[in-house]
Amino acid sequence: MELILLSKSSERINEMKRLKNEPLLLIAIILIVAFTIYFVISPVFQLVTIASPSDYSILVETPRWVRALGNSLLMMVLSTVSCTAVAFAFAYTMTRLDVPLKKFFRFITMLPIVSPPFIVALSYILLFGVQGIITKQLLGLQVDIYGRLGLWIVQTITFFPYAFSVIYGVMGKVSTNLEYAAYNMGASRWRVFKDVLWPLCRPGVAGGALMAAIQVLTDFANPMMIGGDLALLPTEAYMQVVGWYDMKTAAILATLLLVPSLAIFFIQRFWVGRRSYVTVTGKEISLKPYEPHKLVKWGMFAFCCFISLFVVTVYGTLLYGSFTKAIGYDWSLTFSNYSYVWGKWQQIWNSIKFSTISALFAALLGMILAYIVQKKSVGINGFLDFLAVLPSAIPGMFLGLSYVIAFNSPPLKLTNTSAIMVLALLFWNLPTCYSASNAGIQQIGNSVEDAALNLGANSFRSFKDVILPLLKIPFLSGFVLSFLRSVTCLSVIIFIYSPSTATGTTSILGLVSYGQWGAAAACTVVLIAIAFTVLYVAEYFLNKRGASLNI
Amino acid sequence: MPYIDFQHVTKMFGSFKALDDVTLGIDEGCFMTLLGPSGCGKTTLMRQLAGFSEPDKGDIYLNGKRVNGLPPYKRGTPLVFQEYALFPHMTVYENISYGLRLQKLDKAEVDERVNKMLDTFNLQGMEKRFPRELSGGQQQRVAFGRALIMGQEVLLLDEPLSNLDAKLRVEVRSELRQIQKRLGITVIYVTHDQDEALSMSDKIAVMRAGRIEQVGTPWEVYFRPRTHFIADFVGTVNFLDVDVVAAEQNSLTLNWGGLRFNIPQTGFNVGDKAELAVRPECISLAPLNGQIPEGAHVGEITFYSFLGRYIRYWVSINGQTLIVDDANPSLSGAIEGKVQLSFDQDKLHLLKKEN
Repeated sequence: MELILLSKSSERINEMKRLKNEPLLLIAIILIVAFTIYFVISPVFQLVTIASPSDYSILVETPRWVRALGNSLLMMVLSTVSCTAVAFAFAYTMTRLDVPLKKFFRFITMLPIVSPPFIVALSYILLFGVQGIITKQLLGLQVDIYGRLGLWIVQTITFFPYAFSVIYGVMGKVSTNLEYAAYNMGASRWRVFKDVLWPLCRPGVAGGALMAAIQVLTDFANPMMIGGDLALLPTEAYMQVVGWYDMKTAAILATLLLVPSLAIFFIQRFWVGRRSYVTVTGKEISLKPYEPHKLVKWGMFAFCCFISLFVVTVYGTLLYGSFTKAIGYDWSLTFSNYSYVWGKWQQIWNSIKFSTISALFAALLGMILAYIVQKKSVGINGFLDFLAVLPSAIPGMFLGLSYVIAFNSPPLKLTNTSAIMVLALLFWNLPTCYSASNAGIQQIGNSVEDAALNLGANSFRSFKDVILPLLKIPFLSGFVLSFLRSVTCLSVIIFIYSPSTATGTTSILGLVSYGQWGAAAACTVVLIAIAFTVLYVAEYFLNKRGASLNI
Repeated sequence: MPYIDFQHVTKMFGSFKALDDVTLGIDEGCFMTLLGPSGCGKTTLMRQLAGFSEPDKGDIYLNGKRVNGLPPYKRGTPLVFQEYALFPHMTVYENISYGLRLQKLDKAEVDERVNKMLDTFNLQGMEKRFPRELSGGQQQRVAFGRALIMGQEVLLLDEPLSNLDAKLRVEVRSELRQIQKRLGITVIYVTHDQDEALSMSDKIAVMRAGRIEQVGTPWEVYFRPRTHFIADFVGTVNFLDVDVVAAEQNSLTLNWGGLRFNIPQTGFNVGDKAELAVRPECISLAPLNGQIPEGAHVGEITFYSFLGRYIRYWVSINGQTLIVDDANPSLSGAIEGKVQLSFDQDKLHLLKKEN
């Protein structure tokens, strides 16, 4: 065993030595590692260490913080369970049942991912709030929807799509032939589900659950809008910074958030990631799924319809609300909200600008990283892969807060600049771009570069003629996903924006806190419209080349 | 000096010896097959010549010139990859002409040479298609065209037929061999398929665990394998444990559990324990009628399998089961029961016992 390890490490050293012959690659690696350390690891470290261990005594003195931690974790568990259940129902219905509306369901599961994070909360308030369409207009009720239950519902609708995309991917790849093999041996429908489909999907379900968990735990926007008096870590940390300028307490609260977030990241990477059976497929033709009992089938379908209806109502309310004079009081139609949005043009333009620039660099960085990790043996491939996905373990607001601390003074004073916005979004999106590129680069055969060399192209020509054109698609998918995430992002930038660098999402938050619901709705509609335009243009180009975005 | 010459080539992957002191010479115009199971080093050896990796020790000569250290794009050793490695973003025309375009030849000449390749490989009218719009067989022909258009004297083939279906594979074999003869090029062909190796090659180098175990014509490798491994890997074979009971000038007498063989081979001494390799088609069967002749090899058929052009029998004799192929099955069905076996003694081959 030791011998193998020794020879492995000596092989790695040899690989590193060989880098001398490829100076461009060597420089790229050094730059990437340096940048990631400087812009991810170092700020995080600075934020964590701003409070000394003795400062943590405030946790004992202020029970509210402990409650916030408890609430955050409880909300995470509740929402993860509900998100996963909904996601599983959708995935099962779409991969295993012959029902109508599947394309519509697919659309429903994409919608929340490409929308600003607080949209569900906002719409929920419009529907069920004090002046809510349903509660007040239809039922004449006065209910308090803020707090735990409201937040739970909102988090479920907002984040089940993240669990869905993982579960759907895995379940779709489990060959129905395996289920038929079990039927063939005499298993009942329930046995087949229990013995074949469920065990094969389990890693996917676990992965999807963790995905939803990390989103719910670190979400800032929904709790901000609908949490009410419920103390949660992200909102409490925000209050400490914005209300009390107490960086130390904020850092402690953010660190409390970082710990479970990191834990989920490591569970995902080292436990769930290694338990996938999906690769067992060979060349085969999958049969049409053998359907469950009619009651189960149409029950699932009805459930999906119900959730979809909810989502449609959420978006419909927002759209409708954006065209009314005063939501809750005067429902007559008007364009005045949109003229208000026109006044916020600078902020929306900021959103587009920062998202585009950061997405360009994130996609470029992600693509280069994915290319090096997959196609080059440089001795530290595993480490580079880890660096590329590490930011996904850091809650967005933690990253933002850490930038406030780290880039507040020379050598690199970035406070209130556009650069800090772009950099934060760039590194926050790196894992997304990296995985998007990974998927594309896997499709590039290992030998095409060899083939070009073999035909007389030198390294530079073969990279330019063969690799670069083939990287276009991975680059484009990374760019689009990163752009969508940035344009709808609030958590990362909430601490680092200034009046001149405010974005669409931050102004919506402002409008909401002043009770300008109509303008907030209009602003949100505009952001969604931008996101969908970019999404569909990109899908069009990708489809033409036989690729598609993986949302 | 051979046209392609590997001299004491050693290649390590970490602590794994992929090539272990390999020396192999390939004459000009020769179709040389590197045959062996996966992981034996055959592809690695070929890739050393193409320059995709450098040997740790040893020299490689191509047409008298040492090519060690020369980058792949300066070697002129076109290679057809197992998965073809066609450029997915280029059309058939762009794929085939890529090498020529790198040399900045003028358009007219490129067109002419591409057209010649399209003709040779029956790809006319497909110039504008992308690889994904072609069938497997067509993709493979594009890969051949792309490799051959440069007009090099060498062609390297890395299991190029393994992705084709069985029938097409057999057809392409003969086409490929004819093209090679017509162009007079030197070919190195890597495969683990013994049928391909036997049917196409001038010479076969059988590899195992990074070493070459035997180099010879298909006949030599098939009928006179040097080792147990080769006899077993190249075709089906029965191994009989025999004792050498008499050694004459040109022949040996062997004892197999009381039954005798007399084979035209030397190099063994009386008392040697050895292994006799017997191909299934070197045994013939005759139904036994009543009395058993003196010294006859008598066995009993336990099982058979009809394959159309021959019947394979499993015959129990001397406490062992031998595989026997009857190359001309009769219309009336298989033989059953006790049979007399006769061995084509010229084709039997005695091997030293390995540990």
